[in-house]
Amino acid sequence: MLNYILKRIWSAIVVIFIVSFITYFVLMFIPGDAASLILGTEASAEQIAQLRAVMGLDRPWIVQYADWLRGLIHLDFGESYLYGTDVLTLIIQRLPVTFSVAFISMLIASVISIVLGVLSAIYKDRPIDYFSRSIMQIGSAIPSFWIGMLFIVFFGLKLKWFPISDYVPLSNGLFPYLRNLVMPCTVLAIGEVGMLIRSVRTSMIDTLNQDYMEMAKVKGLKSSTIYFKYALRNAMIAPINVFGMQFAKLMGGTVVVESVFSLPGLGRLLLVAVEQRDIVLLQGIVMFITAVVVFTSLVVDIAVMLLNPKIRAKAGGER
Amino acid sequence: MLKKVLAVLMSAMFVVGAAGCSSSKKEATGDSAQETSAEEKDTLRIAYTADPEGLDPQRTAAIATLEVTSNIFDTLITCDTDWNIIPDLAHDWDLAEDGMSITFYLNEGVLFHNGREMTAADVKYSFERLKGEESPKASMYKNIVGIDVIDDYTIKFTTENLDVDLLQSFAYPWTAIIPEECSDDLKTNPVGTGAYKYVEWVPQQSIKLTRNDDYFGEKANIQNVEFTLIPDYTSQLSALMVGDIDITEVTADQIDVLNNTDGVKGYSEPQNSIEILALNQENEYLSNVKVRQAIAMAIDKDEIIDTVVWGNGTKIGSHLPVCSPYYVDTTDVMPYDVEAAKELLAEAGYPDGFTISLKLPKPYQTHVDAGQIIADQLSKIGITCEIEIIEWATWMSDVYTDKKYDMTVVAHSGRLEPYNFLSRYKSTSGDYISLLSGDVDALLDEARQEKDEAKRKELYADIQRVLAEEVPCVYLQSLSKFYGLNEKVEGFSIYPIDMLNLKAVSFS
Repeated sequence: MLNYILKRIWSAIVVIFIVSFITYFVLMFIPGDAASLILGTEASAEQIAQLRAVMGLDRPWIVQYADWLRGLIHLDFGESYLYGTDVLTLIIQRLPVTFSVAFISMLIASVISIVLGVLSAIYKDRPIDYFSRSIMQIGSAIPSFWIGMLFIVFFGLKLKWFPISDYVPLSNGLFPYLRNLVMPCTVLAIGEVGMLIRSVRTSMIDTLNQDYMEMAKVKGLKSSTIYFKYALRNAMIAPINVFGMQFAKLMGGTVVVESVFSLPGLGRLLLVAVEQRDIVLLQGIVMFITAVVVFTSLVVDIAVMLLNPKIRAKAGGER
Repeated sequence: MLKKVLAVLMSAMFVVGAAGCSSSKKEATGDSAQETSAEEKDTLRIAYTADPEGLDPQRTAAIATLEVTSNIFDTLITCDTDWNIIPDLAHDWDLAEDGMSITFYLNEGVLFHNGREMTAADVKYSFERLKGEESPKASMYKNIVGIDVIDDYTIKFTTENLDVDLLQSFAYPWTAIIPEECSDDLKTNPVGTGAYKYVEWVPQQSIKLTRNDDYFGEKANIQNVEFTLIPDYTSQLSALMVGDIDITEVTADQIDVLNNTDGVKGYSEPQNSIEILALNQENEYLSNVKVRQAIAMAIDKDEIIDTVVWGNGTKIGSHLPVCSPYYVDTTDVMPYDVEAAKELLAEAGYPDGFTISLKLPKPYQTHVDAGQIIADQLSKIGITCEIEIIEWATWMSDVYTDKKYDMTVVAHSGRLEPYNFLSRYKSTSGDYISLLSGDVDALLDEARQEKDEAKRKELYADIQRVLAEEVPCVYLQSLSKFYGLNEKVEGFSIYPIDMLNLKAVSFS
């Protein structure tokens, strides 16, 4: 097991390195750079060239990349030209927001999708199944910026239940914190449930069709025992991967929802970094997101191992 | 295992449920909190859509930065809403007889926010820094060759060549006077002499300022200022309507809505800014002046103004905004006339028109909208526009720096002196819209050296007419600015330069 984890961490480092290289490479091919943006529409060509030299943007990209990499080895992510602040500080500032949003919306989405997914598998082609299938369609079809605006206008402006634009850290009390996150997290959850219900439902139907389910029924077990003790547990193995990847996706920030609800999360930081060609900041965020994705998939794999008796036995055997 | 999963699910449901129930309970307290803040309102809340590029006024061209820093820093002189130059850190000034030097007399006892007194040495340092190679505005001050501290409260600037607009160049917010000891981290910790002191900037969230009680002039009315970042327009408007914010920029169509809504009001004023359709004179078709004139006459500016800014704009014929003291009306030089436009195009040798690209900068909805209407109008004389909507960074590098474009829509703004507005048309400027025929070069040089106000006005009028006739750009409209305000906000106004004057704002 430990061996396996170490191997995964090693491959994670390789992945991160490759991703950082690709990001730098791609950035060199999109037009526009920080110097011309800083100088604006009054600058002359010489001025732009001068500032590029001062900022070191005139060096070959591979040199700039090597420079950045050297900093990274010393755990120096560099400084954002845009904010004049250390990149790591900027990312850490965003973490509570991004993590809260990702966690709470996944929580909401998981509860809804597991309940509806299981029910619609058990009662396949019955009203509850139609209901969750329509939720599936609606959830995936509605654009989140639109439903976000509806929420703001209805719950924020009309009913005044939730604040429109504020993020309150947990340190200001659990209540204000949750109150500010309910709307954005619900909107995100609505976007997620479609895919999640689908994966739970399919997997559950699959499991219910297995021979050992017949066996259990023949044996005369209570249906709740069959469904929850045997079926759900096996049926969750496939969806857990989906849940994990969706969570990792949300940890990378959600530009649209963050913009609509004015949340200072990673998604918008990423957007600004690209728009303003703040390469160092962008690299830092990309590194972080890659690390999160790699780490999440590691956790998911371990969770699947623990859930699946076959894999568990194999891992145990290796020890 | 299953029990654990269920336990997690149950507790999740509980949390969600609890949040649901208690949110309605909380509503009452939330409202009462708002009421108390209304009684003793001591914080002005302003929405903004994009973070400033740091808070160092001398290291960026970003308006978002200058709007904040103009409250933290002061300049030697400043201007009022009617374009008049008024004293600020300098209580008086003397322009030399020959116009080649200017002496400023500084107020005594002005303190930086760190408690040290500001003197002429700081002014010298600030201007040297402004002329430094990292400064976007350095070239504007190239003409200043001597900065002499005469005594602690007197400083003299000497120029290389005569520039009759010299005085105005000291009013811009990037001429902020800064203390040398704080210059290294002004980007994140600005220290000035202004009416407000910097408190905190949380990127992508808020910028907080508080009143400077040691301010040398009339102190600010409101104790605190909080800029809140709200990227989305609908959210900004909603936040204004529920009273979370007091000032936000809005689109033209919202002005009437705001004026008819309780608790808020609309504010719209002409701005020192013009919208243009730039035509690349190096393009095969556009190098022909008849083609450019045909395009100018095929465009119905009134339709653009009515559709894009709901009639809240004024059509123009040349490169100065209507509110400029040097503006002359040239809208009749190239009037809207589709038939004449078709004839001109035929004379130029393109009776069937041609296809051309039109690049529009994505973040500026006004320009994107205008571009789409222009494309439709030009199709009537046979010109097909291939619209390309591009990012601002791409616009800056492709269009502005590399001049890889045929046509584009953009705005120019924020200058007091007509020379700085118009000097980009010099054939030698290398600018993306410089007038290659060179017909305004001599006029511009002359105007910059003409001390007689009336003669200068005449020269600038000539320049405007040449531009209207030769059409390096089609001049669309003089833009206005639109704000939504809480009805309690008084004293808010916009200025011809890129600044916000928050010390004048109060709550009724």
